[in-house]
Amino acid sequence: MLKELNSPFLYLICGGIIAFVAVVCVIFLVRAYRAGIAVGMDRAKLKRAITSSITFSILPSVGILLGVIALSGSLGTPWPWLRLSVIGALHYETQVAEAAAEQVGIGGLSASSMTPKAFATIALLMSICIMWGMVLSLFFNKRYTKQLNRQSGRGSGSRNFADSAMSAMFIGLVSAYIGNYIGGTVRGRGMTPLIVCLVSACVMAIFTWLSEKKHMEVLESFSIAGSMLIGMLAAVLL
Amino acid sequence: MRRESRQTDHLPKNTSKVTTPVVSSDTRRLAAGQVETDREVSTDNLSRYTEGTHMIGRIATLITLAMLIGAPFVIGLYLGALPDLGAAAKAFLAVGLVWTVSSVVEFLVYTPMLGSGGGYLAFISGNLINMKIPCAMNAREIVGTKTGTPENEIVSTLSIAASSLVTILVLAVGVLLLVPLQPILQSEMLAPAFDNVVPALFGAMAYQYYRKNWKLALVPLVLMSLLFIAVPSLASQTSILILPAGAITIALAWLQFRSGEGRSRL
Repeated sequence: MLKELNSPFLYLICGGIIAFVAVVCVIFLVRAYRAGIAVGMDRAKLKRAITSSITFSILPSVGILLGVIALSGSLGTPWPWLRLSVIGALHYETQVAEAAAEQVGIGGLSASSMTPKAFATIALLMSICIMWGMVLSLFFNKRYTKQLNRQSGRGSGSRNFADSAMSAMFIGLVSAYIGNYIGGTVRGRGMTPLIVCLVSACVMAIFTWLSEKKHMEVLESFSIAGSMLIGMLAAVLL
Repeated sequence: MRRESRQTDHLPKNTSKVTTPVVSSDTRRLAAGQVETDREVSTDNLSRYTEGTHMIGRIATLITLAMLIGAPFVIGLYLGALPDLGAAAKAFLAVGLVWTVSSVVEFLVYTPMLGSGGGYLAFISGNLINMKIPCAMNAREIVGTKTGTPENEIVSTLSIAASSLVTILVLAVGVLLLVPLQPILQSEMLAPAFDNVVPALFGAMAYQYYRKNWKLALVPLVLMSLLFIAVPSLASQTSILILPAGAITIALAWLQFRSGEGRSRL
């Protein structure tokens, strides 16, 4: 069964969808860059936004690749490759695939018990469960963003708070995760995530100091990636 | 679009001409009129850009959705067995509903952060919480754009597009080199490193955001820590707790903003 799941036909189907999404990304990238120049944004700033995003994304992408490897043992390589390149999320795929495997009656995710019907059903479920963000985006993105822009355009005060609210939302998001690491440490589930988090934060502080006080602005684009790398290295050394 | 950019590129130069004292009042009026026209052109460009973004975003989303739903059926036909719709429906009720609620929350929370273009792309390309959202926030921080501005919309779109292309490229190279890479990436020595990608990411991001307003960060951090200590089973539900944590922090930011402190801090 695994041989069929790794057949050139499946690579063609999955590769084709990924290529389509890559083209969409390029279209959005080029349009946004040109629009940035049209509204008078500094080309250097636009390039920094791209460079920093590229360096930022390399390490998490390698982590996602591990998800592909983990799922390839039971679902073949092409389908996990598609799922994690497009729409999927690392924490979601394994969980849904496992639950779907139980529901279709093969007990769990395993290449030995996989049947064509089970695979097709698991693949369909993996798509259906996570597609709702896209569906909402399709129908409501325009209305929602217009509403948000109208609110922030009512005055400089509301615009300032919109910015504060986004930063606050992100602080809340980060706090939920760090709270989990602190809780895990106290409850004896292991302190590695908290230590990694602290090391990464300390390295980020050094990068910020170098960038702001020593005028090494070039480091800004690589500071997150560098901090993550050293934080992850700490996990290896622990 | 290239022609449009040339029309607006000279906006700052014209503005400086308007303020030059040696020109006559007629010339000044003409120059001011030109600036006004250029502004209209720029606004017009922006509104055309936004409309185009929605059109392309919707078409791309629709096609991607069709392909993602269609692929299991096409693959099923190739393998000789179509999906079992009854089992899929049962499984959806068992696990899918949680993800549906989570998707609604993600859409409501992340779209304001990402803007329209970034929103379409992020929901197509996925991996929002562990990559796209922090990536866009980082780019926004580096460039220094404000929420709700055209600049923020542009930077966010650039960031998500670049990030998605990197993931696509890394995964494509990884799949091509799967055989030689597998033993390295799955080695016991590197396993702790890859198990801790998200803590490393949030550590660096936390420093960036906490240092600007540690007073604001302290409350959600303490509350969340206490919650996870008191109810350890919540550890697997962190993504659901983002909403209350964010809501508390926004409420505190609002109080701070109203007292005048937030305006200079955040």
